[in-house]
Amino acid sequence: MDEKISTLSSTRELVEAVKHGSRAALKRLYELESPRLYGIALRIVRRPEVAADALQEAFVQIWRNAGSFSAERGDASAWLTGIVRYRALDAARKLRREVLSDDPTLGDRPEEPDIVEQIDNKVTAGALSRCVGLLDDSQKRCVVLAFVDGLSHAEIAGRLQAPLGTVKSWIRRGLISLRSCLQA
Amino acid sequence: MIPEDPEELHVLAGEYVLGVLEPDAAREVEASLATHELLRRAVTFWEEHLASLSSLAARIEPPAHLWDLIAARVGPMPAPAAPGFWNSLSLWRWSTAAAAAIAAVLALYIAVVPPSPAPTFVAVLHAPQKDQAAWVATAGRSGLLIHAVAGGAAPNDRAFELWAIAPGATKPQSLGVIPADGRLALGALPAAVRDGGVLAISIEPLGGSPTGQPTGPVVFAGTLVATN
Repeated sequence: MDEKISTLSSTRELVEAVKHGSRAALKRLYELESPRLYGIALRIVRRPEVAADALQEAFVQIWRNAGSFSAERGDASAWLTGIVRYRALDAARKLRREVLSDDPTLGDRPEEPDIVEQIDNKVTAGALSRCVGLLDDSQKRCVVLAFVDGLSHAEIAGRLQAPLGTVKSWIRRGLISLRSCLQA
Repeated sequence: MIPEDPEELHVLAGEYVLGVLEPDAAREVEASLATHELLRRAVTFWEEHLASLSSLAARIEPPAHLWDLIAARVGPMPAPAAPGFWNSLSLWRWSTAAAAAIAAVLALYIAVVPPSPAPTFVAVLHAPQKDQAAWVATAGRSGLLIHAVAGGAAPNDRAFELWAIAPGATKPQSLGVIPADGRLALGALPAAVRDGGVLAISIEPLGGSPTGQPTGPVVFAGTLVATN
């Protein structure tokens, strides 16, 4: 039994077990990963009940699509992050087409504080942290606002009070320089 | 168009993973993923490398009920049928596949991570036509414990009485009146509590049914599932 539990503590093993239809593994995966994944979704959609819906959809998708998780992927956590982010981004696009209010009576969380400064402390995974460090400030800020806050080109332009074309080119050059650094 | 130039391909894949593409462009990337292997690899490259940026988002506990909603939606299992009492009270309509799935998840989970002492059976009781768990029962060598998940109080001047129906039995056996705090513990395991049996709760006069059989409506029911 102990052996079974310790096996079920690694995200990758759990995803493999879910792939074989284990509901117990899905539950364990939820217990271990849901605070991280809910935090990611909430940061993007900013409304708790919408984030909860996105997380629910994501776990149903994880259950149904675990078979598509392939061994060629190195990282099961990144796979989970991707599923939750895409669900949250869909929800955020829908929501923001309707309203972007920051109205606390609607349960909206106020615009999140800028977190670019926390990169050095929090993003410690070797290659990415080294390569992000090589980006200039505007490029770094754009990449974080897009990936972590889920903002579109136009929303980033609004937030940074920069022309849309400039933002697009910051992101483009940021990606090119990240890739050449990550592949080196 | 998906570009052929590798650098342009990677920029497009990166913009897709960042989530900044216009909806039309994002849909085109999505549609091409199944057939365009280089694009798929480029998207995976960015997903894996950028994922650690998400550690910038704070960890936050999701709402407590969320797992139940997910459990009710994943892999429903067929509910076992029971004759007799089932039919007479139309309980069969209540045992939705989803509720059986919740109990099955609970059973599997307990089997993997046993509390002490491990229960032998679990049941999730719910109201008719609803998937949401209202009561959770666990039973084992040390007896049976049932408690309300939310709002365990009976209507005014009435009491909830708990019944067990063994698989194949026609008459329910009373397990007792549930105290107003929505929690009932029995020191011994009633014989009717077996795998595939049913726990049901009816509304009765204070002090319990005067006849030894349910006299009021059965308002919650659930199937017992063995944990091993």
